[in-house]
Amino acid sequence: MIPPIAVAKAVAYADSLALMAAGITLIYMCTKTFNFAHASFVTWGFYIAFTLTSLYGGSPYYYLPVAFIFVGLLGVAVYVLVIGPLMRRGASPITLMMSTLGVDLVLLSFIQMFTDYLTRVFKLYARKIVLEVYDFDVFGLPGVTFISLVVVVFIISALHIFLVRTKFGTAMRATIENPNLASILGINPDVVYLTSWFLGGGLAGLAGAIASITITGDPTVGSRIVVSMFASSIVGGLYSIYGSVLGGLLIGLTEYLGIMVLAIQLGGWVAVYRPVIPLIALATTLLVYPKGLGGINWSRITVRFKSLVGGS
Amino acid sequence: MELIPPVILYILVDFSVYLIVTLSLNLEVGYAGLPQFGRVLAVLTGALVAGAIPGRLLALMYGLPYGPEYAFYEYNYKVVDTLNTILEKNPLLSITIFIFTLVLAMVLGAVIGYLTSKPAIRLREAYLGITLLAMGDVLMLITYYYTPIIGGTTGVSVVDPFRWTGGARFYVATFTLLGIALLTFLLIERLTKSPYGRVLRAMRDSELVITVYGRDIVKLRTYTLMVGAAIASLGGALYTFYTGSCIASTYTRVTWTFWPWAFMMLGGTGNNLGVMFGVLVFVIVKTLIVMYRGLLAPYVPFDPVWLEYTFVGMAIVLIAIFRPQGLIPEKPIFTIPRKKIEELIKA
Repeated sequence: MIPPIAVAKAVAYADSLALMAAGITLIYMCTKTFNFAHASFVTWGFYIAFTLTSLYGGSPYYYLPVAFIFVGLLGVAVYVLVIGPLMRRGASPITLMMSTLGVDLVLLSFIQMFTDYLTRVFKLYARKIVLEVYDFDVFGLPGVTFISLVVVVFIISALHIFLVRTKFGTAMRATIENPNLASILGINPDVVYLTSWFLGGGLAGLAGAIASITITGDPTVGSRIVVSMFASSIVGGLYSIYGSVLGGLLIGLTEYLGIMVLAIQLGGWVAVYRPVIPLIALATTLLVYPKGLGGINWSRITVRFKSLVGGS
Repeated sequence: MELIPPVILYILVDFSVYLIVTLSLNLEVGYAGLPQFGRVLAVLTGALVAGAIPGRLLALMYGLPYGPEYAFYEYNYKVVDTLNTILEKNPLLSITIFIFTLVLAMVLGAVIGYLTSKPAIRLREAYLGITLLAMGDVLMLITYYYTPIIGGTTGVSVVDPFRWTGGARFYVATFTLLGIALLTFLLIERLTKSPYGRVLRAMRDSELVITVYGRDIVKLRTYTLMVGAAIASLGGALYTFYTGSCIASTYTRVTWTFWPWAFMMLGGTGNNLGVMFGVLVFVIVKTLIVMYRGLLAPYVPFDPVWLEYTFVGMAIVLIAIFRPQGLIPEKPIFTIPRKKIEELIKA
């Protein structure tokens, strides 16, 4: 019914959404800031992949690390210039959220200017970007599916090792649990917050660069999917990076494949209402189980399951 | 003949509409402390009412197509043209339909406010903000693609209740809007100085205290969201009547949620007079940018239209960091000393 290539594309989209949601969740856990500028972060990652591929050639995959570092530094700049000063003054979560909206508008305007600049100076057609042509094929399926899966697995493992096995990761978790106590023990919360913004921004840039290989982009691509990003991290529970990755995969697959199934069943006209799906997922999660996927006590469920299986 | 330069009229219209919308936002954010990140939802509701209902009612009265075909672009402009020639000769009908639509917009706005209050009762701060924002986006998306209401991507023309004033149309329309905006200001000023306004502020500062004093927070929140949405919806309906057309893509979260937030933050969150001042300053600066960005165009390698976004975004960030109380901060309300009250009672 659904062609395999569509499933492959859905997986690539879901992978990039998972990385975006992981970034949002990491930043929220550390600094209690719902980062709206994530929309522009993702778009910047998108445009870095596009610009470097168009100007220097090669595969867009070469530029994934560049996108990670550049947008990570953008996150650092946002923290140092805006969020840090506000947090030190004890601003409310609403003020923090609002200020990231302001940052998003500024970054969006910079992307628009940059797009004009690319068009005028380098004669690149930068208002409708399709990088899919640079992708390679694996058994007739787009390579981005496999690369993005590898990236997600790699990122999750790296984050896990970083948070659980390293000293700084432990300090980071301690700061998330209780910033005051952590600072008494000699941990500088500022460094932890800064790191969270670097990693969160970097993940957004990476996700944007991956998304550029599978979806068509323009300067508003980030703000168009920002509802999906937030839905993913809320479905994931906002207090667990693993939960947010699961949430991203779930939302991405449901959104992409769900609308396809509906379009086959009801007709092509439903396709434009695609963003309604993440909204329904978001509302359902908040009303039914606000803790999200990350809040589910998996060990208890597996124990129960085992006892059920053993009992029968 | 030009009595007033068009740019002044333009500023007055923007000022009036944004004043209404920003005041409603200030009631919810500044007074009640609700994270209203979905202001566009109520504004769009008002616009939908004005875009879809008065024209259809008149079409029904005069035997013109009023069903889904009313919104199709092949029919719409012809139908609205015919209706406008009827309205031109009929001031009484024009005024009736104008007032009726505004009242209906406020009622439906209140209904939307009631619906959004359902999750608002259970959710806290940022979660509520995200939910409201997503709702606004989705209503915009649906009305942009669903043709039978306001024509979807083509939009619809809207009947013109000011047509009968002939050449003075833009003056009459502008000053009607300004008058309604100032009335709204007085109404909200009264409302926020009433016991209700004081309870809202107390709720914003400490929900616990209000609960202890026996107030129902759920009811207060619901009521505030309904009043706020009704007023914002009025703003949307007025704007639609003024522009004479209605298309959902005008109502994005940037223009009708973030801009009012910026206006409110500049003027002074929780202070209606400050909000009025903030809206005025912003609208004038925005208009100046629009007027003079053309001069900049030869010197920069991009379209200067984006500077407007940079400006609003920078303003939000800078105000949040350097002057969170806004230009005119909220003032504490002094109660009358006990002695004075006793004197008053005796007298």
